[in-house]
Amino acid sequence: MLGKPNAAKGGKKRVISPTVWPLYIWTALFVALPLVYVVTISFLKKDEIWGVTNQFTLGNYLSLFDPVYLKVFGQSFLVAVSTTALTLLIGYPFAYFTAKFSPAVRSFIILLLMAPFWVNSLLRLNGWIILLKANGPVNELLMRLGLAQEPLKLLYNGGAMMLGMVYALLPFMITSIYNSVEKLDWSVIEAARDLGASPAKAFFTVTVPLTVPGIVAGCVLVFVPSMGLFFISDLLGGAKSLLLGNLIKNELMQARNWPMGATLSIAMLLFTFAFIGIYKRVTGEKTLGGIK
Amino acid sequence: MKKTVVRLLALVMVLSLALLGAGCSSSNKKGELVIFSWADYIDPDLLKEFTASTGIEINYNYFNSEEEMLSKLEAVDGGEYDIVIASDYIINIARKENLLKEIDKSKVPNYENLNEDYLNQYYDPEGKYTIPYVAGTPLIVYDPSRVTCQITGYGSLWDESLKDQIVVMDHMRNVIGFTLKSMGYSLNEQDPEVIAKAGEKLLALKPNIRALDGDTPHEKLISGECTVGYIFTSQVSAVLSERPDFKVVYPEEGMGFGIDSLFMPANAPHEDAALQFMNFLCDPEISARASVFTQYINCNKAATQYLPEEFLNNQAVNIPADILGDIEFMQDISSEATEQMNEIWNTFKQS
Repeated sequence: MLGKPNAAKGGKKRVISPTVWPLYIWTALFVALPLVYVVTISFLKKDEIWGVTNQFTLGNYLSLFDPVYLKVFGQSFLVAVSTTALTLLIGYPFAYFTAKFSPAVRSFIILLLMAPFWVNSLLRLNGWIILLKANGPVNELLMRLGLAQEPLKLLYNGGAMMLGMVYALLPFMITSIYNSVEKLDWSVIEAARDLGASPAKAFFTVTVPLTVPGIVAGCVLVFVPSMGLFFISDLLGGAKSLLLGNLIKNELMQARNWPMGATLSIAMLLFTFAFIGIYKRVTGEKTLGGIK
Repeated sequence: MKKTVVRLLALVMVLSLALLGAGCSSSNKKGELVIFSWADYIDPDLLKEFTASTGIEINYNYFNSEEEMLSKLEAVDGGEYDIVIASDYIINIARKENLLKEIDKSKVPNYENLNEDYLNQYYDPEGKYTIPYVAGTPLIVYDPSRVTCQITGYGSLWDESLKDQIVVMDHMRNVIGFTLKSMGYSLNEQDPEVIAKAGEKLLALKPNIRALDGDTPHEKLISGECTVGYIFTSQVSAVLSERPDFKVVYPEEGMGFGIDSLFMPANAPHEDAALQFMNFLCDPEISARASVFTQYINCNKAATQYLPEEFLNNQAVNIPADILGDIEFMQDISSEATEQMNEIWNTFKQS
């Protein structure tokens, strides 16, 4: 990035400017080193009482194929796919119509969308708990309207968990698609209409293909974190289901099995890389829809 | 121009770092005490009073789990912190890892106020390293207006009428522990066959579980989300203060028990301040106030006269000795047993 202009100017050798050293040092210290640590631990044996021994083992990776762990992987994958599908279903129309407004209205809508995310996500999830709990306003309203005889069990089930996941990750989908739709050349769609395409046909044959990069970027941005989020299933799902994130947390905090926690983290990392690899293959993009 | 701005920014950064450093060292001079415990586990008023009477500034750091605490303590080789308050089982591990420092009792004269029942327990058999802070036992509470079955102990939680009604703590050892107790075994059972049987029994409990929550189960009971809970002492108090109509059950199969104690890490930097603080918390009146604040069982025999009536009448924190009966500490078990329980726990949550 910094090398090119230098090379063009005076044909000098590629030099890394001292101003970027802090960034490299930072990355090495706080990203690369911890990762090396995690990888190392994943090959070690758990100590009897506490911590790890220095004995090498592949056992942790072999136990990844335990039926319980495989089920957790499956369930997490299912939740992540459903979250991605739901956010896409809600996010696409939202982004599409937002992009059709005048620039002033557009940026206001995006501001409204982003504003809640300045507040800590745990607080916002607790807000959902207050709304949906047995003696909360939603149940109160349903009972006043005669739609329910007794408080409905709105919380601590799969539905509440999905609500939380979609709520937390929807903005990533909307902003990605919005970026694509905003850059659309609307005259192309007008041309399709002039040539006799129905609005629906113009939408599916012209608009959608042109916004694929945004859609795929949004899917990656939603799918990847939804594999790892644990507090949503804990708070809104009542901690009754086990996702990959919860499993890692359990291994570290309750079972005190650091090597297994590390192994699961590595497995999740590899899984994520595979997913991003597929994304690159499909779209031919080298970056995540502009998010590098 | 651009270069000037960059230089200016660099200068600001260096200056702010220098200020940060100065801020740290200046508080070191006056005498400092670094406490490490759960958030909000000591009454802030007590901390202020301690600072007012001794001039020692308190720096309160908190952890979210005891495993986190021990990892940090190990990372700093038992330094940095002067006082840690944590549970018996983790103190036992810290002792085996040589992370505790012996207490010079001559500097803690109030030690003699402590109730002998809470001293010299398994995690500190010679009473050299720890001072009990508060104690507790998880209990069952339920809403009698909505529960139709008789609840007498852990076994009652499997009753079919409680479908999707119960909140229990999200804690592997406790939940598998009460399952073992309901079958007449110890919390610390290590026989693989028995643990496997308990695992099968635990799976049958899943339909009755509305939520697993160790942090705010009382809120789920108060709001009416759940009708039965197996929760920690202070949470039982919280439920009773909002919903006095709830009933407390002392499980007939026997109760688990835990003591949270103060200890000094092996390389505590301010030992004198730590000893003064230990003595302060063993003062009868202060100890009484600490128990009222935390809503846990008081471990100071001289403090009883300072405990308010409301506290003494609270079934969660004042359990008559004959009813308390044969209590059992949850102790560390073998690596194999932990692994087996972890597999059971994962299956239980995943199901």
